Amino acid sequence: MSEMNLKPGVHGDDKGAEIIRVENLEKHFGSLQVLKGVNQVIKKGEVVSVIGPSGGGKSTFLRCLNLLETPDGGQIFFEGTDITDKKVDINIHRQKMGMVFQHFNVFPNMTVGENVTMAPVLLKKKTKEEAEKLADELLDRVGLLDKKNAYPQKLSGGQKQRLAIIRALAMEPDVMLFDEPTSALDPEMVGEVLTVIKELVKTGMTTVIVTHEMGFAREVSDRVLFMDGGVIAEEGAPEELFDHPKNARTKEFLGKVLH
Amino acid sequence: MIDNIVRVWDKYWILFVQGLGVTLLLSLITVICGCLLGFLITLMRMSKLKIFQFRPLNAIAAVYVEIIRGTPILLQLYFFYFMLPSLLPVLNPSKIVCCTFALCLNSAAYVSEVIRAGIQAVDKGQTEAARSLGLDGKQAMIHVVLPQALKNILPALCNEFIMMIKETSLASTFFVGELMSVYRTISGALYLTIEPLIIVGIIYFIVTFGLSKGVLFMEKRMSVSAA
Repeated sequence: MSEMNLKPGVHGDDKGAEIIRVENLEKHFGSLQVLKGVNQVIKKGEVVSVIGPSGGGKSTFLRCLNLLETPDGGQIFFEGTDITDKKVDINIHRQKMGMVFQHFNVFPNMTVGENVTMAPVLLKKKTKEEAEKLADELLDRVGLLDKKNAYPQKLSGGQKQRLAIIRALAMEPDVMLFDEPTSALDPEMVGEVLTVIKELVKTGMTTVIVTHEMGFAREVSDRVLFMDGGVIAEEGAPEELFDHPKNARTKEFLGKVLH
Repeated sequence: MIDNIVRVWDKYWILFVQGLGVTLLLSLITVICGCLLGFLITLMRMSKLKIFQFRPLNAIAAVYVEIIRGTPILLQLYFFYFMLPSLLPVLNPSKIVCCTFALCLNSAAYVSEVIRAGIQAVDKGQTEAARSLGLDGKQAMIHVVLPQALKNILPALCNEFIMMIKETSLASTFFVGELMSVYRTISGALYLTIEPLIIVGIIYFIVTFGLSKGVLFMEKRMSVSAA
């Protein structure tokens, strides 16, 4: 059973089914409209990268998916449920959407192990023993087992981010959301975090990742979204979008970041 | 003058020590009650209870804090000294009860600000991370935010206690037996103003200086500790 648990997202027969549907999503911050009607369907097992210039709405789009930002307009369906409906208990759905932040946000008041076991035990997804066992497996997978009883203060940035990833995985989510997971890291630590994400993607986890790492986006993605000015200006398979961009703004952006 | 100071101390040291005892006890009770009440006020200020566009609990708490912070503590002491007996004639509260009551209410307002600042100082990303795992607002507060806020709050609460030690001297207006009242008694009996004042000053200074050094030490210890 735990073998299965380690590979959430691999459910065989329903791979390819719709898992997130975003319809006409809008978001304002004060008078500034950050999202101007975003439409998107993400399928089970898909790996989607979101790229684009700063201020284009990438992070806001991602943060709307688990309602860390409350949309002003439009709908978001997660596994068939409209989570923008006020009557829906978002906490239940968030348990199935892991999120990894730019600034790690590991809990400094807990040990590395407690960071991983806290949510599953508290939210009664697992008994303490089950959670400990899963935590050991996950910690081992990212090379942090020997740090289990240390506090995050003692970890490097890369280690903190790896911890943040498995903290989310311990809830056995159906989707993982990454919000610029390597942007706050020292250059020499980017690789170790990307490796962990690559391995995760191989297990078939549905993944949405906002990133500035173009090479990485090209390598792991099934689809790339280029966001600019609050809309998805262009989307397509990575080879197609990176090598033959059609949109003028995509061309301009890629011209700046790739050369 | 030094001779006089030594003589006054030799003769009345037991009164000074008793006065210090009352001062410390009064401050301690005040800060403990202030913490309990202050926490309640913080909860009110954070409550999301809404009646139409109006948030009654927030409003009550905010008005309370502003009134306490906007009026002198001496005025508050007078107010409760005269008001409490007529408000609660059954209990027939003594002078010291009235003063303690006033000081508690005063302390609560400041403590609630300390707690609020401590909570606000915790990075917003911590709440977001907790919520993204599926914790509700209360769980995120209890398991993630408050334990971290406590680290900011504890030293500030100790400082509040130190402040209170000094502010209880205002209760001497009503002769409640704390250190400053002892001064007034002794100086009245001996017709000496400066000498007993210096003694009392030294006592206050030793206590508050010692405690604030202790707080500094605690802060340092907490910042190197893992949690």
